[in-house]
Amino acid sequence: MNETVSLPLRITVGIILALVVAPLLVPVLMSISDTPYIVFPPQGFTLKWYGEVLANPEARGSFLFSLELAAIVTAVSLLLGVPCAAGLTRYRVAGQDAVLGLILSPLIVPLIVTGVALLQVFALMGWRATLMQLVIGHTVVCLPYVIRSVSASLLLVNRSLEDAAAVLGAPPHVVAMKVIWPQVRPGILAGGTFCFIVSFDDYPVSMWLADGNHFPVPLYLYTVIERSFDPSIAAIASLMIFFALLLVLVIEKVFGLSLARLAS
Amino acid sequence: MSRTESIDVPERVTPHVTRLRANAKEGAFARRMAKVWEFATGTRMAGYVLVAPAVLFLAVWFVWPVLTMVHLSLTSRVVEGVSVEGFTLENYVRLFSSDLYFRILLRTLRIALLTSLFTALFAYPLAIAIARGGPSLARLVTITLLAPLLVNVVVRSYGWQTILNKTGALAWVLKIFGISNPPVLLYTEWAVLIACVHVYLPFMVMPIAGAIGRIDRSVEEAARVAGATRLAVLRRIILPLSLPGLAVGASLVFSLSAAAYVTPQILGGNFSPLLGTLIEQQILTLNDWPFGAAISTLLIALVLASNLIFLKLVSRRFARWTAGAR
Repeated sequence: MNETVSLPLRITVGIILALVVAPLLVPVLMSISDTPYIVFPPQGFTLKWYGEVLANPEARGSFLFSLELAAIVTAVSLLLGVPCAAGLTRYRVAGQDAVLGLILSPLIVPLIVTGVALLQVFALMGWRATLMQLVIGHTVVCLPYVIRSVSASLLLVNRSLEDAAAVLGAPPHVVAMKVIWPQVRPGILAGGTFCFIVSFDDYPVSMWLADGNHFPVPLYLYTVIERSFDPSIAAIASLMIFFALLLVLVIEKVFGLSLARLAS
Repeated sequence: MSRTESIDVPERVTPHVTRLRANAKEGAFARRMAKVWEFATGTRMAGYVLVAPAVLFLAVWFVWPVLTMVHLSLTSRVVEGVSVEGFTLENYVRLFSSDLYFRILLRTLRIALLTSLFTALFAYPLAIAIARGGPSLARLVTITLLAPLLVNVVVRSYGWQTILNKTGALAWVLKIFGISNPPVLLYTEWAVLIACVHVYLPFMVMPIAGAIGRIDRSVEEAARVAGATRLAVLRRIILPLSLPGLAVGASLVFSLSAAAYVTPQILGGNFSPLLGTLIEQQILTLNDWPFGAAISTLLIALVLASNLIFLKLVSRRFARWTAGAR
């Protein structure tokens, strides 16, 4: 069976994967350099850059704001998305294809365009509420993922299990909680997790809608990269990489989801 | 049920009685819930009520803004800082007639095409390893490939900056091999291309791996038994049969890299802006909303066109190629 994966192919795969990992490894190496500028290979060893970053109130504020924003966006997306997925998969809705097309269309339009279009509309309305506007912008982007993920798991629900439970005398809400919910939960969890990540990492929508008091992490990182040259940038980048690794662990071990499923 | 209370209940029966009572209570609750449930789900409107909030949300905050933007690009233009109303194609003409803007458009197309090409080249070995390798190899490749997706694009682009820098990792590696003055890559199109390939590689690998996974293994085995070399199997079986996956991947990668903003900004600096940077400059710096709206509209058109070309054309060709096989 393994015959198709020959040795040359294995070596090629190894080289490509090394190239995939390299840009994440190099900043981590550079972040411990005891020099006032960035240099490779790192010289000496220090953790002071990490201390500097963690003590920085701007960095902390941005991080906390991004967490808050992502949490709100996830909640709103699930509130809108789960009922919509249920309506699309379990009821007859006229013009279903059109509705589906509308719901998935934010995935086609470039994010940077979605962001600028929203900014234009907000400006026309003369409406100023940065947090609300960021939540709206991110939800537009995240909602399609949630609906797609939850719909997929709703379509896989085994209807005969519901019938069996109903025949055995389970009232509808019990069927919903004890038969449907356990089957749909992975889809909701996957959709919610993906939504959180997309919102937390978003740059192209936030860049139009954020302001100085509502400044998500990606924008903050970008300004730091633009204006400073010491290894503290590498330290922030490393912290973000460690955070992502933690996320992988949480997704795979705690939630029991595979990354491949999230990405599909 | 209240009668049980008056009877003297022996000690060991008490738990059962409590449970019976709870069951009866739940029964009443269940009947009420069932009524609510039936009312909510039994009506013909239920589906619409469930779908409506999300649809309304996207209609107001996505469709309306995008249409407003397209409208603005056609009905307004800025002349020497003053906006002039009325139907006009001037914004689009400007995009194609000005040498500066046209070069940016061409560069965007070039980067998007080359990114699709190179990601496809790198994607095939990985996709074959995922689809045809053992479970442990497949898992290793998938995780190593997808985990960086959780790392912010800004950080990944910055990672390439630390590699391509004059004092970066690449220069150091090249010095070991005796190349003392390495080529300047940072802030050139090459840097943008390298980072784009890295960032968008997973979007190419996953669809191709899916397509290869759907190929019947017995086809490959039959070819091998009949004496085909590995290369022939790759060229005559895996490549043509995985084309639908390649089409999906290519349209994704082309769309994403054509609209990329962060990566070209960090790695290309001011020397190789793409359309995304141009939109940002026109709107936030020059305040020329109609022109910015026109570039945005063009970007949407580009993405739709690439979807159409990659998916429709390739699927038609694919149908012709495999017609004999069926």
